[in-house]
Amino acid sequence: MGVKTFKGGTHPPERKEAAKDAPIESHLSPKQVVIHLNQHTGSPNQPLVKVGDAVVRGQKIASSDGRLSIPHHASICGVVKRIEPRPQSNLLDGMAVVIEANGSGETAFMPPLDPFSCTREEAIQRIKEAGIVGMGGAGFPTWMKLSPPPTKPIDVVIANGAECEPFLTVDYRTMLENPGPLVYGLAVCLKVLNVTRGVIALEDNKADVVPVLEKAVAEFQAGPGAGKGFELEVRVLKTKYPQGGEKMLITAVTGRQVPSGGLPMDVGTVVQNVGSLQAIAEAFLEGKPLIDRSFTVTGGACRNPKNLRTPIGTVVSELVPQVFDVSEDLARIVFGGPMMGVSVPTLDIPVQKNTSGVLLMDSREAVFFEEGDCIRCGRCFKACSCRLPPALMNEALLADDYAKADALGLLDCIECGACSYVCPARVRLVQRFRVGKIGLRAIKADQAKKEGK
Amino acid sequence: MAKSYLLSSSPHVFENIDVRRLMLNVILALLPAAAYGVYLFGVPAAVLILTSVASCVILELLFRRLTGARDNYRDLSAVVTGLLLALVLPPSTPPWMVVLGALASIVVAKEFFGGLGHNPFNPALIGRAILLMSFPAAITTWHRPFEALTDAATTATPLNIIKLGGTMADVAAGMGLSSPSQVYLGLFLGNRAGCIGESSILLILVGAAYLVITGTIGLSVPLSLLASTAGLSALLGMDPLFGLLSGGVVFGAFFMATDYVTTPLPTAGKIVFGVGAGVILVLIRRFGGFPEGVTYGILVMNAFTPFLNDLISRKYGFVKGGAK
Repeated sequence: MGVKTFKGGTHPPERKEAAKDAPIESHLSPKQVVIHLNQHTGSPNQPLVKVGDAVVRGQKIASSDGRLSIPHHASICGVVKRIEPRPQSNLLDGMAVVIEANGSGETAFMPPLDPFSCTREEAIQRIKEAGIVGMGGAGFPTWMKLSPPPTKPIDVVIANGAECEPFLTVDYRTMLENPGPLVYGLAVCLKVLNVTRGVIALEDNKADVVPVLEKAVAEFQAGPGAGKGFELEVRVLKTKYPQGGEKMLITAVTGRQVPSGGLPMDVGTVVQNVGSLQAIAEAFLEGKPLIDRSFTVTGGACRNPKNLRTPIGTVVSELVPQVFDVSEDLARIVFGGPMMGVSVPTLDIPVQKNTSGVLLMDSREAVFFEEGDCIRCGRCFKACSCRLPPALMNEALLADDYAKADALGLLDCIECGACSYVCPARVRLVQRFRVGKIGLRAIKADQAKKEGK
Repeated sequence: MAKSYLLSSSPHVFENIDVRRLMLNVILALLPAAAYGVYLFGVPAAVLILTSVASCVILELLFRRLTGARDNYRDLSAVVTGLLLALVLPPSTPPWMVVLGALASIVVAKEFFGGLGHNPFNPALIGRAILLMSFPAAITTWHRPFEALTDAATTATPLNIIKLGGTMADVAAGMGLSSPSQVYLGLFLGNRAGCIGESSILLILVGAAYLVITGTIGLSVPLSLLASTAGLSALLGMDPLFGLLSGGVVFGAFFMATDYVTTPLPTAGKIVFGVGAGVILVLIRRFGGFPEGVTYGILVMNAFTPFLNDLISRKYGFVKGGAK
């Protein structure tokens, strides 16, 4: 069987060599943490603490009643110094709880829970209470993905270890260093969804972790009780951007296509990032909520590219220069990878639940082009991972023709950036689609209102 | 904070291929045919090519400066237009005429519509069409290779000979060949009367192969255009192989009908474009007043391009219907 993939996509230089061989270093004692209340897709949280309160690592400090909501927890022991807006990696100043460390080593975790003997509701409640979100970048609440309606039967769970973003290596290191928790977390998802088939999928540029994962799978299945009855498989996919996109991954692994406007559950699949699976394992085995995460610091302006594990809320500038050093030539800071990450104006921004990397580009890497006119070469057609016509969507949006853009499939765009990457005229395709999607959704909401829905 | 960092929307990396690189690929691909044209027709052909390129670049620069638009010459698109225009003209075209052609190409067909990316019609072909209408005699005056380009020494192109009721033997005689059976190979290699760049099918294909290998152009338009030309020629009782090898259809298929701006984007649209252009050009050859119809075949299909862009065939997740 050949190495599978999806249609479309592109091949940006991988640049993973810089941080690939650096083991994940833990730095769990920052002087302060800044924990934003809106680190997830869904309703914003309300703080449960006030200025002056003492908090303990693992204590719930924010929650909401909203349907999509998940709580956030204190990631260090200390005192709440401020609750105020702070710069965030989405470029907004979101409300945040600022905790100053007091050096205590106390924890306030939940009691461990056996996912294989508790009820389905208990297990989902645990994943929700642990505040786990998609750690690959989207920040979608994990418990929601594990609670499909009965009309959407699931038959496979895919662990996403594709890590198709250039530069980033944190998922690779997680698979290499913590294969046990990863497999355990995958099994928890299978149990919750009452599914037997689990696939760990990764790109063939990381094929060296396959034996490690296969060994962990074998050990888990040979272990006491729990591992029996699951069909777990490690699947190597072609290295191509954006192989780790949920829709592309599903197509590559199962051959199915997520319908336009639909979710993975519409084709019987659930996809979880490998970091999220590790967090799930910790939530059951240790009762630990999602309060630490691993991420990559790399790029031409990073003197010592590496993989780190810090409490969530650790302000990146606090790690400089002791943990990693930044060269004079730093020209662009990106939270996330170079294809989909957000460029930010400062390093005084905290690590969030969905921060997979901090990319420090030097002046040679940080290119910027004036936008040219589309010459209709069609390269974006070939690169589009969703098989959309980017050049025509761009043309429609330039003419404010939202109906046309909608008909062409604008809302199916996943903003992977492949079209902008290949565009010879440097047309700001993804940027225009991002804005266009917001405009189109607003128009649709207006229409729905007028129709009296 | 003292230092400010570059903020921009993702992605933050770009492939190292820009418009200039693509245009450079086209220029490189045209060089074998251009060089051979100069070899066949001598200094006047070289003068014509240089005049055309220089006028296109200068006229574009002047027009953009005059209208306050951003300078564009670095993208090399005017060089491509200039080169294409010269290569589809007879070698005896007076240089002043080619300057007028460049004016039609660059100013009328391209800049009036907003410059590169906005022109509905292929600029080089508009230039040629306007010259053909304005100076029909000059643009249909042909000379044998390696002969002085004087009025006394004119000849007919192979296509013209057939159009006027000639036989393959007449064509062979016109090309200085002893037997009609040598005509096909002769046409393929290119030692014949015709436009500067259209004679050698071999060298045109060498350039085209370079464009295909570098991913600069796709094969949908050229192949469908050539197939429909051959097919309809056969249907109308004309020699399909002769139809492909003579005239400018191969050059047009690979270099004119693959112009990014004026041809459709979706593959289905490209195929309709190619087939349509082939049909029109054969109908002109068979029933029209001109022996050759490539220019008009492609220009007419250019007008259909906005409609052909709606022929989107495939969309992710579309096959299974919308989500419910």
